[in-house]
Amino acid sequence: MSDGDYDYLIKFLALGDSGVGKTSILYQYTDGKFNSRFITTVGIDFREKRVVYRSNGPDGIIGRGQRIHLQLWDTAGQERFRSLTTAFFRDAMGFLLLFDLTNEQSFLNVRNWISQLQMHAYCENPDIVLCGNKSDMEDQRMVKEEEAKELAEKYGIPYFETSAANGTNVSKAVETLLDLIMKRMERCVDKSWIPEGVVRSNGHSSTEQLHEDKDKGKCGC
Amino acid sequence: MAERPMWEQVGTSFVHLYYQRFDSSRVELSALYTDASCLSWEGQQFQGKTAIMEKLMSLPFQKIQHSITSQDHQPAPDNCILSMVVGQLKVDNDPVMGFHQLFVLKNISDNWVCTNDIFRLALYNFA
Repeated sequence: MSDGDYDYLIKFLALGDSGVGKTSILYQYTDGKFNSRFITTVGIDFREKRVVYRSNGPDGIIGRGQRIHLQLWDTAGQERFRSLTTAFFRDAMGFLLLFDLTNEQSFLNVRNWISQLQMHAYCENPDIVLCGNKSDMEDQRMVKEEEAKELAEKYGIPYFETSAANGTNVSKAVETLLDLIMKRMERCVDKSWIPEGVVRSNGHSSTEQLHEDKDKGKCGC
Repeated sequence: MAERPMWEQVGTSFVHLYYQRFDSSRVELSALYTDASCLSWEGQQFQGKTAIMEKLMSLPFQKIQHSITSQDHQPAPDNCILSMVVGQLKVDNDPVMGFHQLFVLKNISDNWVCTNDIFRLALYNFA
């Protein structure tokens, strides 16, 4: 699985209060199963998956597929003993921030998690996807969809109601995060690789317009 | 069979008592520390019974369960006992984690108290 045959290695972290379903959602995503048994983890715990990412270029033209090796990291629960350190967030490019729809406190703590991220992640506005998990337990819901959407909007991040138990929206949440990361990379690449003058200065400097230029540049390598 | 050395007896009974109290009634740990005791908790330092108890009582979980894998005890200078514990713990519904804990025990007016306590989770890839 970890042979070098891919274009990008991308590391995601799952964050959120204990018991919101971080491990289960990652397990559902990589293996398509829900494991409600107690999994013993000591130290290292990440899951991996290969995906092909196709960016939607201008005019709906689909670019060449990029082979992505996704690493999905989980915590072992050490956040109860001390705050997570910068080292833990190191190298993570995207964050799946989870709360439990049946546990209001876990939703209230989303703000704290976001400020932790702003403090420790590689930049102040990293890519985050918010997931209200356990959507299958509708009868025990304590957090309204509108409330969660409002919060996500306030931070400008996507929101999904997921279920690690039946798989609802799990892939969609991860794919949305991947899309944000790839777009961000394209923007960075655009800025640093494309020589001045190539970028049109007539106000049309949106990333959409630059996709083609960048893709051409990359194929040459 | 020779009797176990004194430091073994004191060390094991301390360890037994410490984790029993930690798991069932954390507030009672306060009797095991003095105003001069030091605690290093995952790299954070606390000194004195009050600060130590404040830290231990503020740990955010309902249930904790320790399971001791091994313990070693040695006589140390100044009539103290040095103890090291290796074990696993489980908090609420979190995965099991390994931990290491080291104690220095001292006899003060006929009571064994803990003057030094160092705790670390045994996690290797999380930093």
